[in-house]
Amino acid sequence: MPAQTNANVVALQLEKVRDKVPLLYERDDILLTMIQQRGDVEKISNRAMRLPLQVNPGGKAGSYNADGGDLGRGSGTQYDVATVSPIFFRFAIEITKLVEYATAGRARAVENAAKREVVNGMKQFRAFLDKLMQTGGNGVLGTVGSFATTTWTMSTPPGAALVYVGQTIQVYDSTLTTNRGTANVVAADPISATQTITVDANPAGLTAGDVIVHDGLSGASPVSLFGLKYHQNNATTGTWLNLNRASYPVQLATPRVNAGNAALTPSAVRLAINKVRKALGINHVSKLIAYMAVEQEHAWENLGITVSQIIKEGGGGGGNDLDLLFSGRKTMSGVPIKSSVNADQTRVDFLDLSHWGRAVLKDIDFYEVNGNTVFPIYGASGGLAASYIFYFDLAMQVFSDSPRSGAYIDSLARPTGY
Amino acid sequence: MRSMTIQIGREKYEAPETVARVLRLAGGVNRFGEANYRAVWGWNRLAWIGGKFEERDPATGALLREVVELRREPKYPQVNRWHIERWLPPEAYGSPRAWYAETVERANGESVAALGPYPSRGDYEHCFTLEGPRGEFVQLTATIAERIARAIEWSRCQPRAARRESIGERERREERAYERWAYGALDGGAPAFGGEEFVSVR
Repeated sequence: MPAQTNANVVALQLEKVRDKVPLLYERDDILLTMIQQRGDVEKISNRAMRLPLQVNPGGKAGSYNADGGDLGRGSGTQYDVATVSPIFFRFAIEITKLVEYATAGRARAVENAAKREVVNGMKQFRAFLDKLMQTGGNGVLGTVGSFATTTWTMSTPPGAALVYVGQTIQVYDSTLTTNRGTANVVAADPISATQTITVDANPAGLTAGDVIVHDGLSGASPVSLFGLKYHQNNATTGTWLNLNRASYPVQLATPRVNAGNAALTPSAVRLAINKVRKALGINHVSKLIAYMAVEQEHAWENLGITVSQIIKEGGGGGGNDLDLLFSGRKTMSGVPIKSSVNADQTRVDFLDLSHWGRAVLKDIDFYEVNGNTVFPIYGASGGLAASYIFYFDLAMQVFSDSPRSGAYIDSLARPTGY
Repeated sequence: MRSMTIQIGREKYEAPETVARVLRLAGGVNRFGEANYRAVWGWNRLAWIGGKFEERDPATGALLREVVELRREPKYPQVNRWHIERWLPPEAYGSPRAWYAETVERANGESVAALGPYPSRGDYEHCFTLEGPRGEFVQLTATIAERIARAIEWSRCQPRAARRESIGERERREERAYERWAYGALDGGAPAFGGEEFVSVR
């Protein structure tokens, strides 16, 4: 029998927590996991999932002459089919041999190290996927506004909000045609007004206006997770879930309010909500949530018509007495607010999540080969490197079956201080 | 033969005078002598909605007809709840010219002001819906109304930086809470004593 290695021990610890991995991932606190897995579509094969849509009503209404008049011909409901194909995502985590030495190989210590990496890895993977949920389906995480050596000033939105330190990114030209190469993020500042990221080395040919995409994409016009800006979009050209937007310019367009770089106002909010009400019925907005960046939540507080977060924090004014009434969510004209540090800083999306779903080919789990979930790393010489690697992976795509069930306000000003 | 009709009415209530009085005391009055804060019942609070309405079959969702018009409809989704509103001055809505530029929609060749006429006397905007943590009904009382009005007034006096920091701190706290929860969940998934076998000692 071969001697036990640290990989065996780490694998054992991972197996212990294996059934907890979906639990850590599915927590209902980020946009991606707020989108419910709908029972009828949650499992798909590698073939595209079909979403039949009723795009136009049928029937011919009108008056007629009962005194021998012609009643005319009829028509039927028109359907079309949207299709969704899953995208594979992975998150790789390495543990070095030092873990074993630092913990003298004690099982409990290795367990703690494995557990810590599972928690950290899952947190980062969830954040990565949530960041993708803010994008337009092409994996673009930001635009290089300008650069000085290896420090890039990112255009806002989304600024530097969608990358994290240590991430490998790729640079494409602005038309998503030419892949200029990869870089590793060594610093990111999504907080200050300048919104900069620093990389280890610039890809050759880097140009202001280039875009950055996540690792793993290739070729021209890459396809990634279909995020908010893919589904909540009023474009009348291009495609949506393989349907030509030009064929259904009204049916596939999400109502939009252009704020014109002005600050958030109650009237812009009412305009957006009313667009949904007019399309779906006056009383059909009870399921909406107002999804926005913390910047716009702050802008809403600045209007002085809501109870601020300070009260919720237990600040002055006897605010604690409100806890029984305060459901934990602020509202925007009666619509509950859900804010996120990853959301577009200049946008407010009104979402009816009951129309959203995830087509899942493979649930999140450890990547496994013949029962093994932990793999050795090999050095440049071909010998073993002093570290081990394991992966989370999943295959899914996000869809909406009714782009008109939401609305959005864009081109909002960011409040002072951001 | 007597005809039988069923009339479906909207449940309408006026805020009690005591509530109106404490809101006036807590929030003061505006330039028109009206209270800055008021409590309204959802069904009573109507607002202009203009544009092209799509009327659909409730059963199938099929489009029945499209109508371009200006209507007065309940302003808030929660029609069976009390709402606290605060008055905003007309300048909060921009100039009349900007108002119409932003809100006029064209549909079927007609122009309709999507939010109705310019609010030249200002308007009341939503602050707070009275309901419990799980969305249950909460009755309006003078004490609750006063607390909310005072809390909002107190919030308005806080520096923007403090409000910003408070939101940031909430985000950081939620992140820490996730980590604590995740470690706890994994502890629950791992056997006691790291899976070490143990025996009973007599």
